[in-house]
Amino acid sequence: MIEFKEVSKIYPGAQTPAVKDLSFEILEGEICVLVGPSGCGKTTSMRMINRLIEPSSGEILIDGEPNTKMSGTALRRKIGYAIQQIGLFPHRTIARNIATVPQLLGWDRERIRRRVDELLELVGMNPADFRDRYPSELSGGQQQRVGVARAMAADPPIMLMDEPFGAVDPITRERLQDEFLRIQENIKKTIVFVTHDIDEAVKMGDKIAILEQGGILAQFDSPENILTHPNSEFVASFVGADRVLKRLSLLRVADMRLDPADGADDLPTIDERLTVRDALSQIVGVGATGGIVERDGERQLLTIKAIEGLLKDSGSARG
Amino acid sequence: MGSIQLALLLQSLDQQLVDWAWIRQNYREDIVPAVIGHIYLSFVSVAIALAISLPVGIIVSRYRKAYPPVTILTGLLYTIPSLALLAILVVIPGIGVGPNAVIIALVAYSLLVLIRNVVTGIDSVPAETIDAARGMGLTERQILFKVEIPLALPVIVAGIRIATVTVIGIATIGAYIAGGGLGQLIFDGIDQNFPTKVIVGAVLATAMAVVADLLLLALERYLRPWARRVRGAS
Repeated sequence: MIEFKEVSKIYPGAQTPAVKDLSFEILEGEICVLVGPSGCGKTTSMRMINRLIEPSSGEILIDGEPNTKMSGTALRRKIGYAIQQIGLFPHRTIARNIATVPQLLGWDRERIRRRVDELLELVGMNPADFRDRYPSELSGGQQQRVGVARAMAADPPIMLMDEPFGAVDPITRERLQDEFLRIQENIKKTIVFVTHDIDEAVKMGDKIAILEQGGILAQFDSPENILTHPNSEFVASFVGADRVLKRLSLLRVADMRLDPADGADDLPTIDERLTVRDALSQIVGVGATGGIVERDGERQLLTIKAIEGLLKDSGSARG
Repeated sequence: MGSIQLALLLQSLDQQLVDWAWIRQNYREDIVPAVIGHIYLSFVSVAIALAISLPVGIIVSRYRKAYPPVTILTGLLYTIPSLALLAILVVIPGIGVGPNAVIIALVAYSLLVLIRNVVTGIDSVPAETIDAARGMGLTERQILFKVEIPLALPVIVAGIRIATVTVIGIATIGAYIAGGGLGQLIFDGIDQNFPTKVIVGAVLATAMAVVADLLLLALERYLRPWARRVRGAS
């Protein structure tokens, strides 16, 4: 658990604070996304957690203890750290890159070797193929995977991720996001995730903290509530005019209750693993009014009407 | 022209310029000590220069304000004509003639290149690599020794290469103030009007520079294993 208590940061010589009176709480096992336009202080806020930046006032508690209780380096070895530019060590092999923190913590060689292989498997890279390569031999997507694996190496309970999937093409990014969410389901880390992309925030976050210029917390809530009830003009415009559609990307077809379909053979077939947004896009794309979902050997009907109903439901239920 | 005539011509030239018999006879007494003396001058000079440049370069890369004065000072040393510098050193009490004066001069000439390459090497380490290192909990010392210096090493060795080749060349002048080395053979040869000594000294000094250059180039490559592999998988 991470708690910001009236944290402010004013850089020397700056007129306005980078972060102002920030107070909020990140629960254990949750992904909290810090999102906002550039200059909103999201990266500064994240870097104050592991004390790469020291706040000008206020404090940050980790599990109830101020993060100033131990030395910066000791603290940072307990917190995973992954950044957009990845920052792999070019002179070290993939295995030695991943082994960085375990080595600092003095793990024995055999334990490190096992952990490296386990992590490479976890991020979908064959250890035998990649262990002894150098970062320059990897594609951007592979490097980002290694960056995330390296951040997880010593199994830290907390991870800080600053646009960790930012340096790859959109298709690879989506795949990395999905993979990471799948991994997170099992490891349940407390994650602080920085991005400027509201779509990524909605997708990745259990909670979203929207920051505005000057490091002011505009809204802190679940993605659904932020999309349904933006609390200010700024948040509404930041999440975008398509926020209704964004809400649909939070839901999967598999989660919807559907009726059996009788007949209706001319409708497109929808994969139940799709998000409702993608399903809607597929239905509208072929000019249909609904689609067929195959589930447990049964053919079920997903209509545009049912999707509309969904929006009303979640809107009022959480209002 | 027949090949026999060419061979005869070369032989006659040979007899004039290179007295092979002298080389065979004086191999041990004159040539080997000169080679050893030259290696000694060059190696000790570069080693001392490196021992000064590494810490200075590291400090300067941290405290940027110190870089311009350091550059100006080492640049000044670099521009002093070598003969003039030797002459000045010789008259300084406590130095006098001999190898020590030569070594001081050679160190002075190496500083500019070595310090510059140490700073350039450290500067070339990507900022995000250092940020990641710090974010994972490496101490400032560990960042320097485990990240910055290993990554800067190929650039530093490139500087050592330039310095070594330069030093091997300039060291020949050291014989003028009794510094020993291959320059001794050259100066003797000139004095005695005996071309063999001049040629032996010059050829060996050149060969030494070439060999040192190649060895250090190999070292430079060896220290950059990550750049030797083929880039860009999938």
